[in-house]
Amino acid sequence: MLLTRLKAGGPAIAKQGILVAFIVFMIAFSLMSDRFLSADNIMSVFRQSAIIGVMAIGVTIVVIGGNLDLSVGSMLSFATVLVVDLHDKIGPELAIPVMIMATLCLGAINGFLIGILRLNSLIVTLGMLSAIQGLVLIYSGGQNVDIADQSGTWFAVFGRGAVFGIATPIIIFLGLALIFHVIMTTMPFGRRVHAVGGNPTASVFSGIPRSRIVFMTYLISALCVAIAAIILGSRVMGSQNNVGQGYELQVLAAVILGGTSLLGGSGSILRTVLGVLMLAFIQNGLILMGQPYYTQWLVTWAVIIVAVWLDVAAKRGRLFSPIA
Amino acid sequence: MRNSMRLLLASCGTLALAGAASADTVRIGITQNNVGIDSYQTTYERAFIEAADANPDVEVIVLDAGGDVARQISQMQDLIQQNVDAIIVWPTDGQALVPAVRNAHREGVPVIVTNSNIAEAGMDFIAAFSGPNNIQQGIYSAEMMCEALDGEGQIVQITGMPGYTTAIERQQGFDDRLAELCPGVTQLDIQPGDWNRERAQRTMETLLTRFDNIDGVYSGDDNMGVGALNAALAAGRAEGMVFIGATNFAVGYDAMERGEYWGSVYQSPVDDARAALQTALDVLAGEDVPKLNYFDTPKITQENMHEFDRPVF
Repeated sequence: MLLTRLKAGGPAIAKQGILVAFIVFMIAFSLMSDRFLSADNIMSVFRQSAIIGVMAIGVTIVVIGGNLDLSVGSMLSFATVLVVDLHDKIGPELAIPVMIMATLCLGAINGFLIGILRLNSLIVTLGMLSAIQGLVLIYSGGQNVDIADQSGTWFAVFGRGAVFGIATPIIIFLGLALIFHVIMTTMPFGRRVHAVGGNPTASVFSGIPRSRIVFMTYLISALCVAIAAIILGSRVMGSQNNVGQGYELQVLAAVILGGTSLLGGSGSILRTVLGVLMLAFIQNGLILMGQPYYTQWLVTWAVIIVAVWLDVAAKRGRLFSPIA
Repeated sequence: MRNSMRLLLASCGTLALAGAASADTVRIGITQNNVGIDSYQTTYERAFIEAADANPDVEVIVLDAGGDVARQISQMQDLIQQNVDAIIVWPTDGQALVPAVRNAHREGVPVIVTNSNIAEAGMDFIAAFSGPNNIQQGIYSAEMMCEALDGEGQIVQITGMPGYTTAIERQQGFDDRLAELCPGVTQLDIQPGDWNRERAQRTMETLLTRFDNIDGVYSGDDNMGVGALNAALAAGRAEGMVFIGATNFAVGYDAMERGEYWGSVYQSPVDDARAALQTALDVLAGEDVPKLNYFDTPKITQENMHEFDRPVF
């Protein structure tokens, strides 16, 4: 049955495996908890997902370009500690640009090693993961940092503010997603990233500056981390020096759930947004249902597997591989 | 790093030769877990060196394992080679360190474990443990919660990282004592905050959506407690909600000062370091030292907070 449906659905629906899975989960959860689909809860989950979401936008672009970025978790710790610490020392109007510049430098190191020197991205960013964590510890001396005047600073607007009743983190997240979606789908840069990730050799022969494109994807990833750090620092008004630990895996899970190919060359920002939201709604829904934490780990894993399977099945038009 | 460690060892060796003239001097080696990873450990190291300097009969060799259990094991072997009188160890891994502790025991060097205990299998080989009592800390928090709510109400609990001894023991102490002392207080749900303030904030936001009525929140440490407080403040529901934590952090201390946070448990790295050194000295003096030595981690509330210094972390 399902097989024929998938085939009959044609390519348009077949590409939307993740959307179908998302809708199925939303319906299932709303049947199990009456608060799940309340406006407050939806708003709250969108707000919660903004930090992971903004990071996932950058990582999606890196992955489409045929590489990985595992350093984003440590980079988030670095950026958040920096912006929070500098907030009280030089004021938010200077702290934000200084932090963005410093974070872009880290992205440039990734970009140089992977784009220009052509080193393996898994190894480089795994190394950067621990190197940056070390950098944070040297900078902070192990100290947690906090913003002293939490109610008086305009820095609060990024994490706690709202515009027309919509929380700022949501506006930043969805706005950024839209901008990068347009860039990736309609502009030459987007096409070049796809080309470099899809077939590096062919892209070079087509005259695409591969090194520069890969370099740029890591700068964008770092920029996204810097923006996520502003939201995080403003929301929490402080930072532990390992605050982003483990976030890289949540980000990667969302990107994979969104159907972006780890082999590079294909993927979509908007589907990553769906992946981010789906993971956030699952965690939220399970707590609303009163499930203990370990079910969240299990269910999250199972959902990723099923979603990836459905996605692959939709693309090839059948549930199981033709080669038995 | 390794060179500076060798240098340190060499200079300590020279010191030891110089000190060998006086018969009363004891030499104690310490291998710490991961100095610099957090301010608790950084302060601990400073306090330990100060306490040792203040005592003319003590010489210390201070080492740090940098969170690496293999390095810690070789540091213990080095210390044995140097004929120290006792070894203090802050385990990087309570299980993997057991053979090294057994080895020291066989060589006749007493081992004192500090801050977090070694696995059960190693207990026979250590002279003593010195550190905080996490179960007792959970009990204190339950007593404060009971008092703050007058024995009546609904609460949620946000625990530390699942699987961590500290998290498990605090929860156990809290759950048991609360049920016994305060049957009128019910726990609506228990969810982890992973020692992470942002994660705790997210968890609390969802719990606030799920329950219309939450009278109190117990968090496994103040860092997460302040995250929960942030969530309640943002939802406009912090008024009248009782927040109780453990391991008083500076942010928790400040929130208490503002009247937003009810109480916590005060654990000082300085007391922790001094207690470890004293336990080692007691062991070397031949005193009858109990296996488990807990230093006091008192309750801190809005009322008595000014008897305590603002925490350094």
